[in-house]
Amino acid sequence: MATASDSKSLPVRFALYITLLVIIAITFIPLYWMVVAATLPQEEFFTLPPRLLPGTHFLENLQALEARFPYLRSVWNSVFVATVYTVISLFLCALAGFAFAKYEFKYREPLFYFILATLVLPVQIMIIPMYLLMAQFGLLDTHIALILPFLANPVGIFLMRQSMLSIPDSLLDAARIDGASEFQIFYRIALPAMKPMLAALAVILFISQWNAFLYPLVILESEELFTIPLAIERLTGHQRIYFDQIMVAATIAIIPMIVLFLWLQEHFVRGFTNSM
Amino acid sequence: MSLRDNRNVKSVKTSIRTTRNTVRDALPTVPGVPYLYILPFYVLFGLFLAFPVVYTLYLSFFEYQGPGSGTLLEIDLVVFEAGVPRISSLEFVGLHNYRRLFGDALFLQSVENTIIITLIQMPLMVIVSLAVALMLHAKFVRYSGYFRTAIALPVTANYVAYSAIFLVMFAENFGFINYMLASAGLPTIPWRTDGFWAKVSLALALDWRWMGYNMLILFAGLQGIDRRLYEAAEIDGASRWEKFRYVTLPQLRPILLFVIILSTIGALQLFAEPMIITDGGPANQTITVVMYMYEEAFSRFNLGYASAITYALVVFVTILAYVQLKLGGE
Repeated sequence: MATASDSKSLPVRFALYITLLVIIAITFIPLYWMVVAATLPQEEFFTLPPRLLPGTHFLENLQALEARFPYLRSVWNSVFVATVYTVISLFLCALAGFAFAKYEFKYREPLFYFILATLVLPVQIMIIPMYLLMAQFGLLDTHIALILPFLANPVGIFLMRQSMLSIPDSLLDAARIDGASEFQIFYRIALPAMKPMLAALAVILFISQWNAFLYPLVILESEELFTIPLAIERLTGHQRIYFDQIMVAATIAIIPMIVLFLWLQEHFVRGFTNSM
Repeated sequence: MSLRDNRNVKSVKTSIRTTRNTVRDALPTVPGVPYLYILPFYVLFGLFLAFPVVYTLYLSFFEYQGPGSGTLLEIDLVVFEAGVPRISSLEFVGLHNYRRLFGDALFLQSVENTIIITLIQMPLMVIVSLAVALMLHAKFVRYSGYFRTAIALPVTANYVAYSAIFLVMFAENFGFINYMLASAGLPTIPWRTDGFWAKVSLALALDWRWMGYNMLILFAGLQGIDRRLYEAAEIDGASRWEKFRYVTLPQLRPILLFVIILSTIGALQLFAEPMIITDGGPANQTITVVMYMYEEAFSRFNLGYASAITYALVVFVTILAYVQLKLGGE
């Protein structure tokens, strides 16, 4: 590849960079336009030609949105549900993954492959029984109902087991000889050694809960419990649609995640390529 | 900030793994502990994954009458007594729900819509993401890492939130896209009122959301191709096109197939985008299978019929996912 591409002529390179810039422009335009729309007063939003520079009305628009719908509450709910879910699920997946990677026990293989078999199932298959179960448990319209069913995450246990295999047994045995309890071995030695994989899995888990829409839509009824997707759905479903307010809501949902992505990029990318 | 290579990390990991394999039989057997470790996982797994998979299938042979009452099953183990509650009252209807699928015009419409949206969305996305991955992989392109980061940004966007942006952008009268078309002297497009263009608007939104993600996967695949293959092709006097045709494409084939299957699975499960952007309209022209399932289940409470719809979907998705796992194993 090297020799051929080095000899590429200037016009070819130029065309290539232009194409890339066009693609980047297409990527950015909806996001940029979202910010513009979120920061303009509603009246200016409808002028032709459309305004191309952001305004200064973000807080006013946010106040108008809050007056109609407790959106910041939804943001908090989303952060809360996704964080609690991520922490507990991470722990359960790591614990079970550690057992599968580092202990010998009866039925180890069949138990593990049983979980692997469910990796291929789409989430829709659980929705209706889960609704009936949550109704039975009296958990409809609660955050617990959003967190509980997905804690046992097949992708999570799979990734944890795979990466726990790489912990040297001698390290664990040395700790045993030093008198560490089995749980200390997991908690003090295995977990810290798994930090990069834990971070990648945390990203996968957090995002899956953050984006969840269909299942929360089935479970939640009260506006004060809504997560971001439900809140935005409610805003777009009204008779009169306030575009500036919807764009404020979208901006608050999207921009922090972009910042998080830029900050934790390696974990994101490892998460994406590992969850394939 | 750039996307850093994890190659060093990976090589370290593999070397540890090899040493580990040589002492495979040395794993400790500590009575009880491993079972204790997997217990919480399996309780939740059994209740919320294994049970629903079976119960949805079970429900698909019944008609739902309402919430259940009483006890379905008594477990009496002398020291331990428990009842499994009946979670719904049902009437057995055999294969009726499945037969109904084939005569249900709206269901068939939802299948057709889902397939058409996939057929518009996927080829464009795969071609563009492959082209971008190839461009960024070219040796002379500088700042490739920055370009990748910029193009990958939409992967962070919440489904419903990004759908809301496109809802506004595709508005017919004062939407950004029609405005741009009009200013360029082009005819505006009936994104809301024409069934075909409504599907196109969904496909374009999906392409925007997933192009960067697939580009990252394809880029990783390109990096994995052995450079010596290109050197060998060069010695044989291969042109640039021949190198692409006889080295890059065959080497990338499993990953390309993976991307295509994964995107198809995602498209079959389409829900948030049509809910927000088109609301299934106009005239049910963009209602998808999952949307229809949702409406049958939770607007009309036909839980039995909705379960049959779910299983029809599950069969397709599972076959595709299974093929994908097989490919992944290669």
